[in-house]
Amino acid sequence: MKGLLASEFRRFRSRRLVKVLIALELLAIVATGVIVFLTQEYALVGLPDVLMGTSLVLVSVGWILGASAIGADWHAGHVTTILSWEPRRGRVLFAKIAAALTGVFVLSLAIQALLGIALAVAAAGAGSTTGADAAWLAESAGVAVRVAALSTIFAGFGFGLASAGRNTAVALGVGFGYLVIVENLVRGLRPQWTPWLLTDNAGLFVVDSPIDFPMLGRSTIGAGLYLATVGATLLLAASALFRTRDVN
Amino acid sequence: MDTVIEVEGLRKEYRRVRGNRTVALDGLDLAVPRGGVFGFLGPNGAGKTTTIRCLLGLVRPTGGRCRLLGEEPAGLHRVIGRVGSIVESPTMYPRFSARRNLELLGRISGIGRARVREVLDEVGLADRADDQVKTYSLGMKQRLGIAGALLKDPEVLILDEPANGLDPAGIVEVRELMRRLGRQGRTVFVSSHILNEIQQTADRVAILAKGRRVATGPVREVLTAGHATGLLVRLDDVAEGLRILGEAGIDARADDGLIRVGLPPADAARVTRTLADRGLYLTELRADEADLETVFLELTGGASTEGSR
Repeated sequence: MKGLLASEFRRFRSRRLVKVLIALELLAIVATGVIVFLTQEYALVGLPDVLMGTSLVLVSVGWILGASAIGADWHAGHVTTILSWEPRRGRVLFAKIAAALTGVFVLSLAIQALLGIALAVAAAGAGSTTGADAAWLAESAGVAVRVAALSTIFAGFGFGLASAGRNTAVALGVGFGYLVIVENLVRGLRPQWTPWLLTDNAGLFVVDSPIDFPMLGRSTIGAGLYLATVGATLLLAASALFRTRDVN
Repeated sequence: MDTVIEVEGLRKEYRRVRGNRTVALDGLDLAVPRGGVFGFLGPNGAGKTTTIRCLLGLVRPTGGRCRLLGEEPAGLHRVIGRVGSIVESPTMYPRFSARRNLELLGRISGIGRARVREVLDEVGLADRADDQVKTYSLGMKQRLGIAGALLKDPEVLILDEPANGLDPAGIVEVRELMRRLGRQGRTVFVSSHILNEIQQTADRVAILAKGRRVATGPVREVLTAGHATGLLVRLDDVAEGLRILGEAGIDARADDGLIRVGLPPADAARVTRTLADRGLYLTELRADEADLETVFLELTGGASTEGSR
């Protein structure tokens, strides 16, 4: 199991998609830092709001990385090769999930940390660091961890759908269709179902302000647990399918 | 007999749209003894790859049993470290190098870089080991697949069409590799549609048609089963030869400029002596045996040998 995990972690690190997305995010961070430095007096105390603003990008990246972690294997036919080395399918899927979710969590956290550092440098040079005290640091860290956790949960959604559909595109298509079309329809036609919508719960989890999401009737932790439960259910269903279906 | 692969009444049905079913395996029985090269032949759709997938736990049989090194698919993890395999086209990550692909696989079983270098050398890919696999030719990908199968230094090798995409030199190399591995005491279970390759390489063979085994045994026995064996004689004066053999009570007839003699190859000396005693000298004498292709086509009803399932 240790060898399988090591192999999957190394493969995740080596993937071109991961490298490209990291490069793009780093480029965006550098550009943001430079623009902030040159054009305005940035107040570092607003960092938590900036980190919340990254959540949409990081969640999308998490979804793509989670989906492609297994979807690319199905597409390339590599699942057959892996199973000829480790036929216990549960272990294979667990190692892939662990590598993908850990990778997305660490990546999301690192990106936010780098963004925070870039903005701190910009604020120290041409802005204000007033109010950047211990409470601010705790708030910023809390937002970063929640955004990273949300990206990880959405990576789980992507992984589960791609594993069941044996294709990355299935996960991306179903995800887009559900979040953009189905949830908006539900919000409009069945508002009483809002507490079960992923996007609203994700919003509450990141913003950490239940007052702004009165329809949900749950706490920030409650929203996170609900999302995690949906993700875990999806992964368990994908695992059950992976264990029982033929690999042709 | 110590068997490494045992298949009993194996059946596999695939459900199709509208409830139709396709029977890929229809009660297949098979026993592969330890050591040597075992050829697994069958026309397109006969069930060769399905059998291999069942053995490796990739597909679930509808009925029957199969065991690899004594383990059914549920217990395969106990023996998988002793089994190397290629199923259809070997699949590696196209954007990784051959070395990285093999290192990732090797890491699963704790196999180090030294062994990766060895197998890359063994299949002739050492010079291109650090190039991306997507730049490889079909033959090179096939070699990489074989390297992956050899990485575990397995006692059983399951190779599904290993010569696919290889050039003639590559085919000869794979043939020699299989023979060498067989001589080392390993069991090489190879499915192929290249009948000549199997005839030259395998010690034993099984032939499949429509999901059932239609023949199995040592290659020589399968070749001779149901076929009259004899001798083919070439000499300058066919009519005189026929007359002399007839007088000696030997069954013989002319066939396309040759004389076909109804004696087993073991009695070749009797034919040469009879003719030489009467002043007729042979220019050619050989056993009259069916080749594997003839036997294969007869047993499978002339089905195409291209591709496999």
